[in-house]
Formats: sequence, C-alpha cells, structure tokens
Amino acid sequence: MSVLTILISLLFYASGLILIIGVANRIRIYWRTPSPLVIPTTPAPLTRTGVAARLFGEVVFFQSLFRGNKWTWILGWLFHFGMLLVLLRHLRYFTDPIWWWVDLIQWVGVYAGFAMVAGLAGLLVRRLVVERIRYISAPSDHLMLLLLLGIGLSGLMMKHLVHTDIVSVKQFTMGLITFDWQPLPADPLLIIHLLMVATLMIIFPFSKLLHAPGVFFSPTRNMRDTPREQRNLADWAAKLDETRHSGAGE
Amino acid sequence: MTTHRTTAFLLSGSLFLGLALTANALSGPKIPQARGEKCVEPVEMMRRNHMEFLKHKRDATMRWGIRTEKHSLVGCIECHAAKGEDGKYIPVNDPDQACRSCHDYTAVTMDCFSCHATVPKEGAAPAGSKGDS
Repeated sequence: MSVLTILISLLFYASGLILIIGVANRIRIYWRTPSPLVIPTTPAPLTRTGVAARLFGEVVFFQSLFRGNKWTWILGWLFHFGMLLVLLRHLRYFTDPIWWWVDLIQWVGVYAGFAMVAGLAGLLVRRLVVERIRYISAPSDHLMLLLLLGIGLSGLMMKHLVHTDIVSVKQFTMGLITFDWQPLPADPLLIIHLLMVATLMIIFPFSKLLHAPGVFFSPTRNMRDTPREQRNLADWAAKLDETRHSGAGE
Repeated sequence: MTTHRTTAFLLSGSLFLGLALTANALSGPKIPQARGEKCVEPVEMMRRNHMEFLKHKRDATMRWGIRTEKHSLVGCIECHAAKGEDGKYIPVNDPDQACRSCHDYTAVTMDCFSCHATVPKEGAAPAGSKGDS
C-alpha cells in the first residue's frame, strides 16, 4: 500500500465527514431560524402544492434566474445540469453491480461533461468581463469557479486524452466505501482531480455552495401568500398579544 | 479525562488504519488467464490505452488500408479467449470473460463485436501467430 493511497484515502474520509456533518449542521441552523414575517415574493402560491410547484420550478428550471438574466440562466443551467449528469455517471464507481439506469446514462454523461465545463467557462468570462459583476465579485467567487472548472477539465482530459486505469480506480473507490483499502493508480491527472474534489467537499459547508440546501429554506420562495386567510403569529409576538389583551380588559 | 479520550481516539484510529492496511483481498472483475508469452504492450499501458490502440488500428486499417500485425484485435482474442469445459472457445464478450468482465464492472460499452469475431479461428496458435487483423 503506497503512501499516496493512504493519504488520499484518509483525505476522503475526512472530507466526507466534514461535508456530511457540516451540511447537516447548516440545515439544522436553517431549520431553526425563525421567519416570523410572511414575505413570499408575489404573485405567490396560495397552497402547499403550489409552493411545491414553485420550488420545483426554482430548483429544476431556475425560474427566478430566468426572469432575471437570460445569459446567466443559460450558463448556470448548462453547468448545473451538466454536473448533475456527470455526478450520476460517476455512480458507476460506487455501485457494484452497476444500477441499470446508471449504465443507461453513461453516454449522456460524456456529453454532459462538455456542457458543464462550457457553462462554467461562460460564468467565469461573465465575472471577468461584465464590469458590474466584476466589481461585486469576491476572490472566493472566482476561486469557486476555477476549482469546479479544474475538476471538470481534469475529468475530461482523463476521459478523452490521457486515460487512467478505471478498473483500479473503481477498486479504490469501492475499497473506500467498504473499508477495505485498495491501491490508487498514481496518475497525475487522477490525483489532481481527486485532490480538487476533496477540496470542494471540504469548503462546501462553509461557502456559497450552500445555496443547494439553502434554496429550500428561502422565505420568499417557500411561503404561501396567506396573510389575510391565516394569522402568522410568532411566539414572542403572541406573548405581547396576551399582555395587551389582559391590559385592555382591566 | 481529556487524555483518556485522546488515547481512545488515537487507538481506535490506528486500529482502523491497521485493519484497512491489512485487508487486501482484491475485489473486482476476474478474468480467465490469457495464453501466450506476453502482451504486445506492458500491462499498465494496455489497461489505460487498449481502446486507443484498437481505434487507431481500426482507422489505419479500414480508412487508410494499412494492415499491420501489432495491436490487432484478432491477436487479442487469440490469447484472451478462454476454452470452456467442452473444449470449445467461449466468446470474449460473454459475462466474466476477458473483455466483458471489466467492461461490465465499469459500465463501458464495446461495439467491436457487432462486426468482429469473438472467438479465435480454430487451430490458431496464440503467441507470435500471423493474425490477419
């Protein structure tokens, strides 16, 4: 067992733990944060089914972004859905025997890799070229795009230019998830790819990438437009109410 | 108290690390032993690039009419096709055979055998044979 295998294995256990615990903790915080005011962006749905439909539109079609800016929308959508398909394609490294539908979408994932990188490249150009956007961009905004771009490009290069031994790679990943470590092929592109993925996993719970769980907790999107039908009374306000009523009764 | 916890943490950690290091039963695809002395390229090279060799070979032969013996698919099959208990060759794209087992393991499709034969010609000698690609 090489030092490289041991280091990368330990790194992935650590980054996996940080990702899972970190995101769970963030979701717990989002869940507990009170949102005492009814502030859905109107026109807003009146029913829970309507809210589900609205969130579906947000998550799957990026509805707000579509209404806001078509360029950002098309680039962002290309990137996100390219990445989704690429991630699903990667399930072949984590399932044995491979699920039938993962087998079925392999070819789609190959093209999706290009869509993902094209979208990311476009978003980076936007950040650099559009004056207004460059002005409000923090270093982390650029670095996040560069990191994802690096992951995508190193992956594409392994697929199309400098191949790695994917049977050994799968033995390595299966070894990781079954706690039976297997050697990792020492191909530079593969190591770079894995290091960047681990970095992404580690920074996920501390970065803007949290918009993934966050969108579901967005009050302007997940609330019903029912301020007249229902009184939305926060606990602390209810106490004030009681004292005032008792005061008026005297 | 804190020292105890640290010790326990380190102990369990090193135990876990030790377990992970000693376990080395290689899971994954198992393919039949090939015949012939050695492959046309080093094993490490073949694992990564056999598809490129075959595709290059296909283009060179089919489109440019260049026929050579190295990297010939016929050559692959002569060594890698296994014989069943009945003494007959098993197609290399059968489950758990040389080509299919790894391709199934990683969900990679092969389209070689919609045209090419999956068993050697009867009487073909494995090593150093004259494959007519």
